[in-house]
Amino acid sequence: MLDDVAIRVRQNIGIVTAVLLFSILYLLYNLSHPKGFSSAVLVQNGDEIFALAMLAMAQTVPVLASGLDLSVGAVMTMVGCFASYLLTGVGAPLHLDIFGLHLGLGTFPGGMGGILLGIVICLATGALAGFVNGCVVVYGRIQPIIATLATGAIYIGIALFLRPTPGGKIDEDLNWALTNSLGDFAQTIHIFDDGAAPWFAPVAWIPVPFVLLVLIALLVWVPFRRSVIGRAVYAVGSAEGAAYMSGLPIDRAKIAAFTLAGFFAGCGGLFLAIQTSSGNADIPQAGAYTLNSIASVVIGGTSLLGGTGSAIGSIFGAMVLRVISFFFRIFDIAPLLQPLFEGLILLAAVSIGALGVLRVKNTLELFR
Amino acid sequence: MVWTLRFAGLACAGLLLSPVSALAGPKVVSGPGADPGCFKPWSAQTKFFQWDKKPGPYKIALVNGFVGNTWRIQMVKTAKAFASQPGIKENLKEFKVVSTGTDVAAQLGAMEDFINQGFDAIVTIAVAPDGFDRIIRLADKNNVVVVPFDNVLDTDKVMMVNEDQKEMGRMSAKWLIDESGKKAGDILEVRGLPGNSVDRDRHLGFREVMEAPGNSFKITEVVGNWDTGTSQKVTADALAVHGHFDGVFTQGGSDGTVQALMSAKHPFVPMSGEGENEYRKQIADHAKDGLKGMSYGQSPALVAIATKAAISALQGNVMPQLISIPIPVATYKDLKPGTNYWPDLNANFFAPNQFTPCGVNFTAPEIMSQSEKNTQ
Repeated sequence: MLDDVAIRVRQNIGIVTAVLLFSILYLLYNLSHPKGFSSAVLVQNGDEIFALAMLAMAQTVPVLASGLDLSVGAVMTMVGCFASYLLTGVGAPLHLDIFGLHLGLGTFPGGMGGILLGIVICLATGALAGFVNGCVVVYGRIQPIIATLATGAIYIGIALFLRPTPGGKIDEDLNWALTNSLGDFAQTIHIFDDGAAPWFAPVAWIPVPFVLLVLIALLVWVPFRRSVIGRAVYAVGSAEGAAYMSGLPIDRAKIAAFTLAGFFAGCGGLFLAIQTSSGNADIPQAGAYTLNSIASVVIGGTSLLGGTGSAIGSIFGAMVLRVISFFFRIFDIAPLLQPLFEGLILLAAVSIGALGVLRVKNTLELFR
Repeated sequence: MVWTLRFAGLACAGLLLSPVSALAGPKVVSGPGADPGCFKPWSAQTKFFQWDKKPGPYKIALVNGFVGNTWRIQMVKTAKAFASQPGIKENLKEFKVVSTGTDVAAQLGAMEDFINQGFDAIVTIAVAPDGFDRIIRLADKNNVVVVPFDNVLDTDKVMMVNEDQKEMGRMSAKWLIDESGKKAGDILEVRGLPGNSVDRDRHLGFREVMEAPGNSFKITEVVGNWDTGTSQKVTADALAVHGHFDGVFTQGGSDGTVQALMSAKHPFVPMSGEGENEYRKQIADHAKDGLKGMSYGQSPALVAIATKAAISALQGNVMPQLISIPIPVATYKDLKPGTNYWPDLNANFFAPNQFTPCGVNFTAPEIMSQSEKNTQ
């Protein structure tokens, strides 16, 4: 029994490290925070982590198939810009002005129905962008890193076209409901006696973004990982030749990996837009999110070579990445030295995961 | 507010408990405000705010976004130096500075963290002109004073401090027209970071005057990101394509713009640009050759005034919602070594850093020569 645990830990050393590191850092943060362990602090952290956690999950899937997706930040930004038009909560006529043409697209419904429809359209847009990535990689036979660099530029272009300057007005109550605790959520949309129902009290403190994260992980990632396609993604990343010889659907696996990445990135963009109640085609921000998503994947124990790791690990990777900067708000660290500290802790975090190398008896093992 | 599941009987309770109605925050009062020499209202229409008086000393946080260019570093150093100045120090129990990068979620998180930590005020350069509704709502709920400056928000719900960016654009246009004495010609406009309210407003002000009836300027627009290297490159490109310009307006990285003119052996022309010391040195050196330059300055010392405004608001004073800081201008006619530019200093920094009416009395070289350690 104990042996079994030991083996499992050794097989998943990356994710175990990330979870431990996060737990220690987050515990320290809460202990030093004047309002530590309160719902308000959890909510604030949940909001801050959500978009990056989604992008980390997005990045994980193509990385598992040993391809980087440099467009996740761009897809997030583009979906956010779509959301800033579709989630206003007041029905509005949509039109498209392009090349001097004025195209009326009919009226977008308002109210709850309109918002739900808007959410579906936004998520579908993200998945579609990922699907296009997958097709370019598979049928265009282009290296994923280059293909997604190009498509990423296209998605940012679309985002800039939609929102040349930041703006839009996403429904205020939607913003409030999704970026707070379950109690506030229930109160805002008037369910469970406005969140005052006695049975509801024990869970009312849980942040909505945390619930969303768990739901997406359980309802999207876990079934995917267990499906044939999901296992094929791992196989492709582990040894593409062997996967091909075994008759696995390689092309479908790759397309599915990128599509899922687009979907996750879309979730991140949707939430970021709701959180800021506006759309912003911010290019530096898109780049920062892409880079951080790769960092989260590595910290979370997924190999950049593909084949091993999981999106759950990447969520913890993203949380580690975020929690480091939380400390600058508590402790007095010279502002211009903060990036240095962040870099040092990151380097340490990544190194812990790589410590296994020291136990390798034969250097050849490193070249799998 | 159509976001409602209509459960009969809950509507009334919903109205009472709706979080929108639970706002506290500043009262809108009538002016005049405190210390009008320093906190000048933007216009006659500017509203006045008053927060409940809180006993000092206060906990104030500076939440910066992007860090890594000279302006931001000078700003952070000015903030630290100002916080340890007599008269300010006594009012501060704690002054914390964080930079969150260009990530809006991180900036929102940092601001919310300081609200949760019980800070009294947050001074910030917003990474985007929109998207802070939730933080404003929370800050009002907790009676926290939020003061965006430099890159301000498109809202009138918070107190903000800035120089009039549109006026900078207008001034620049007037300068080019007056100095060239012409109402037509080829003009180069080097813009700043796209998607930013500062860039947008300077551009709009500039175009407003240049494109006024009676003028027929042909304006070529390039994007220089307020960065010396980028600005030099795009100016060089524009010169290669167009050959000649009669005037240049550069939003930032102004020394790079001049450098490109010199490298291309383009004759010096009337020009207006930012407040970099290097640019002012170039104007002083080449004014006699025709570099009739004007240098306006978005001063990094805005942070000091924003901090002072936050303290004043916490003391219960009446404050303008939008505070206008006079634009420090120097032209080739009135550049004085050691006063508004420093010919012997090579390090790049932004020359305007003093605002005497606000008690901000340190010069730019004083700030930039301090090491980060000394400003702790």
